[in-house]
Amino acid sequence: MNILETHNLTKRFGGLVAVNNVSMHVQEGDVVGLIGPNGAGKTTLINAISGLNPPTSGKVIMFGRDTTGKAPEKMCRLGLSRTFQIPRPFPKMSALESVMTAAIFGNRPGKVQDPVALSREMLAFVEFPLPESTISEQLNTVQLKRLDLARALASHPKLLFLDELASGLSEGELNDLMKIIRKISRKGISILMIEHIMQLIMQVCNRLVCIQFGTKIAEGTTEEVANDPVVAKAYLGSSGE
Amino acid sequence: MEIANTAPQAGGLSGLLEKVCFTPAGLVGLAVLIVLPLIPPFNQEYLVRWLVQAAFIAALSVAFDFTAGYINIVNFGFCAIMGLGAYTSAILGLRTGLSPWVGIWTGAVTAAALGFVIGLITLRLRGIFAACLAWFFGLALMGLATKMVWLTRGPLGLRAPRLFETSSNVPYYYVILAMLLATYLVTRLLVKTKMGLAFQAIGQNMEAARTSGVNPVYYRIVNFTLSCALAGWLGGFYAHYYGILTPDMMHTSKTVEVLAVAYIGGRGSLWGGAVIAFPFIFAMELVRSSLSSLPGLNLIIYGLLLILVMIYYSGGFAEFYNQHFRKKEARA
Repeated sequence: MNILETHNLTKRFGGLVAVNNVSMHVQEGDVVGLIGPNGAGKTTLINAISGLNPPTSGKVIMFGRDTTGKAPEKMCRLGLSRTFQIPRPFPKMSALESVMTAAIFGNRPGKVQDPVALSREMLAFVEFPLPESTISEQLNTVQLKRLDLARALASHPKLLFLDELASGLSEGELNDLMKIIRKISRKGISILMIEHIMQLIMQVCNRLVCIQFGTKIAEGTTEEVANDPVVAKAYLGSSGE
Repeated sequence: MEIANTAPQAGGLSGLLEKVCFTPAGLVGLAVLIVLPLIPPFNQEYLVRWLVQAAFIAALSVAFDFTAGYINIVNFGFCAIMGLGAYTSAILGLRTGLSPWVGIWTGAVTAAALGFVIGLITLRLRGIFAACLAWFFGLALMGLATKMVWLTRGPLGLRAPRLFETSSNVPYYYVILAMLLATYLVTRLLVKTKMGLAFQAIGQNMEAARTSGVNPVYYRIVNFTLSCALAGWLGGFYAHYYGILTPDMMHTSKTVEVLAVAYIGGRGSLWGGAVIAFPFIFAMELVRSSLSSLPGLNLIIYGLLLILVMIYYSGGFAEFYNQHFRKKEARA
């Protein structure tokens, strides 16, 4: 079953077409990698889907209903969560409070009996290395990304967008992250992740979507897309240029 | 900043204090404020007058901080909205003979209605743009108060009935002290609930807040409306204490005075401004009365103090106090 479908999704900023006619889907249980060169429109695409920056035209079908242009806070309660490329914590809140925000407001009323316990559970799940009372503005990027992930998980998503979670990580941190992503997937959460690190993509994604200049150029299983000459050309440039 | 349900539950006396939002030091401070007008030299009328003024600014700064320190919108029209409450109460008192004790509540309702409208209009705007829009509302209000002479008597000044028949300032002091306490308790109790978490979330990071499921429309309007209602309510006191209203009271520089007190006291602390207002207003009055040949000097001092606070203690007096005088686990 498709948990997410986009139909001819287009996002224009004035004369610039950042996302052009993209149709793609994510099936339940998928870990889909969204790849493409820098500036291809990957983040714009997930912003358009998640409602932060609604699409100019096209349709988004999520969890079997039309969610095109719905406000992000409504999508969150339907079961969509996301992390940010540049992690965006609540700078003056403690780690626990940051996660509690999603635990309290991101779930349907009455679903979470004890938001504090849930938040602690999520911090433990992402292996947050510091005390829960640490104020967010004192965290480094790696810690912020863990915290952002815990926050995204606290609203019980069915679908999770990860925006370059692995950039800037060391080898060891990358392995940890891989384990965490597998753990999330095993919980039954479908994942759409923007990623550049091929090692991670090849190991955790079962399908890939590749976009370039806002247009989808390939979609399929990880092997198919990774071996697609068009994709290789998009990344490396053709020998003729 | 911790909210109630994450703080360890303390039993006994400190648990009770926690419930009423006071630390032992805060309670001592309150007790001092209660007895202050009875002990020399503070029992002199002109000093009690300063005390009233300080308590008034303190209450305004708490209501101001509820918006600036939590949802991160600096309401530059704050004192204009306070003035709207003041004029409403005064005009109703003059035209219909409404008792000032009822009037200050009508001031609160009018100010709340305007706060609701401003909140609604600024919804799509971020930080500085919302601040500017609120400021323009303030300027427009002041313009109206100046030009609608048939209603407000403009710069000639509108006389308002006073709360008490006496010339003593002491009863007024206790009224405004109670209003300060009520303002603090209402805002404090609200930010301790999950609503406070939502305020902070949308103030600190709108995108993350929305993707975490916080509805910014609702919480922003609630916050703005309440903050303005409190301003209008306090404005009613202003009208019936000073007994005369001029459009000057709505001027942006009055808002800056409240802002200075709130920021020097500590953004997002609520209590910081209330504490700092007393020594601050006294110091300013001393400057004003002893250096009367240099008018406007107090504004320069505000500016310098604000710059120093921004550079060295962006959390203001509250941060300074928490760092040096409070045990880590006891932070509220």
